[in-house]
Amino acid sequence: MPTIELKNVNKTFGTGIGKVQALTNINFEARTGELTLILGPSGSGKSTFLTIAGGLRQPSSGDVIIDGQNISAMKPRQLDRLRLNKIGFVLQSYNLLPYLTVAEQFRLVDHVHPQNNLNNQELEQLLKELDIDHLKEQYPDQLSGGQNQRIAIARALYTNPPIVLADEPTAALDSERGAAVGREFQKLAHRREKTIIVVTHDLRLRKYADRIFEINDGKIEQTK
Amino acid sequence: MFLAIREIRHNKLRYGLIIGMIALIGYLIFMLMGLMLGLANENTAAIKSWDTQTVYLNKNANENFSQSLVSKSQIGQLGSHEALVGTTPVVMKKMTGHASKQSIQFMGLSKKQYLYQKKLELVAGRKPRNNNEIILDESLKDKGYHIGNTVKLNSQGKSLKVVGFVKNAKLNISPLAIGSLSTWQQLKGTNGQYIASGIFSDQKTSHHHPKLAKYSVHEFIQKLPGYSAQNTTFEFMIGFLMIISLIVIAVFLYILTMQKLPEYAVLRAQGIPVSTLTGATFAQAMLLMIIGVVISLIVTLITTLLIPQAVPMLISWPVTILVGISLIVLGAIGALLPVHIITKINPLDAI
Repeated sequence: MPTIELKNVNKTFGTGIGKVQALTNINFEARTGELTLILGPSGSGKSTFLTIAGGLRQPSSGDVIIDGQNISAMKPRQLDRLRLNKIGFVLQSYNLLPYLTVAEQFRLVDHVHPQNNLNNQELEQLLKELDIDHLKEQYPDQLSGGQNQRIAIARALYTNPPIVLADEPTAALDSERGAAVGREFQKLAHRREKTIIVVTHDLRLRKYADRIFEINDGKIEQTK
Repeated sequence: MFLAIREIRHNKLRYGLIIGMIALIGYLIFMLMGLMLGLANENTAAIKSWDTQTVYLNKNANENFSQSLVSKSQIGQLGSHEALVGTTPVVMKKMTGHASKQSIQFMGLSKKQYLYQKKLELVAGRKPRNNNEIILDESLKDKGYHIGNTVKLNSQGKSLKVVGFVKNAKLNISPLAIGSLSTWQQLKGTNGQYIASGIFSDQKTSHHHPKLAKYSVHEFIQKLPGYSAQNTTFEFMIGFLMIISLIVIAVFLYILTMQKLPEYAVLRAQGIPVSTLTGATFAQAMLLMIIGVVISLIVTLITTLLIPQAVPMLISWPVTILVGISLIVLGAIGALLPVHIITKINPLDAI
């Protein structure tokens, strides 16, 4: 069953002669237990795709269905709640607060989303899987880029969301650490039954993906 | 509160400096207020401690006590809650021993009237019984004056004996020497033509003296030389400092919030509600202000214990705490600007 579905989605910016067609007639679905890769060069429409699929931006036309809910008519507060409950974001900037220790990054989530989060045992298990269980008392600036990105992944999974959206998660990592992140995403999708969508131009991640889409000039095409 | 506390704890130096600045502004405000109240008290201590409600002065004195002289023909029948009061500035010199000359106010009272009989609160000795005896404000004890000393006022030939010390006997910042109206007449050189400077009463509705001007104690105090100007100056200084503290907290929180916008955008993208972020900023403003104000209160308290007696400082804790709360409220108002900015954060900025 698809967890995220985009049906005939179009997105335009501006009007008149300044009008830009960012996405054209996008039909896309991402399934549970799969790692889906969205590839494309800069300016191809990848980020616009991610923001629409993540409920951060509404399409100009078409429908976006997340976990069975059509979000097209949702209000900003409903979208906030949807993102908090259904989607874990992993961003290029690691999405960690510099003044919180690793353990406190999870406690912050407990403050705003007390239900359905991983319990201590599950969190411990996840941190072990990601090999960051020994870093709980460290601050982000005391960790390497790879460690920060794995913590960001754990943070995204902490609310137990069915969907994880990652935006260029390996952009700041060397090839070894980039590959490690790719492996982690693949493992999480398969073992934890998550729908993981990674938007990237990092071709090294191709081998870990179950399905691959390419976006060019706002048009999407499945290549795997 | 979670985010606010963690951030302050992590950035101790940055927030310590802000708290330090708030504490210094608060301390300055409290000290200025202490000086204002202290000086105001030295202006009015005698009048207030005697529960004066109404004052009668010569109509031509322009509401100025030191310019007023009243003759016997100008006053009607004095009631039991009215007393003749004569004042004049004098220089007091001790006849023996070591004590500097003091510029003071001499106040003449009648033994038969309520001020002398009921209102003088002695801290040592007794009340004067004849024209050759005086009592002094207790602050003059620290200037080397003692019971039994003989003093001379101005260049008057007559010696006066100090027989007691009295509490809160200050008028227009000068300590008082209290003696008889007869001595006042001699010092003033009125040759018996005038019997007092005015009439004090501890009642609002008093006997009517149509030939004199009647003033409420509030009007009288406001007209004491320099009193209003001095208080207004202090009030403006305190008011400006409070506005400055509002601007300081608003500017600091604004700058800090601008630096955190990328982090907040990421949190918004993750679905963290705006209320969590605005609540954290608001809580942070409150914490900074409360810690700053509490530190300034503690430093003010220590200062009051260490400050020399000669400095006219009076801390009214109810007023001080009220001003402290006002500062905290100003901090809350200062937080509105960054809070407004946070409400405008676009989660898309995170991508």
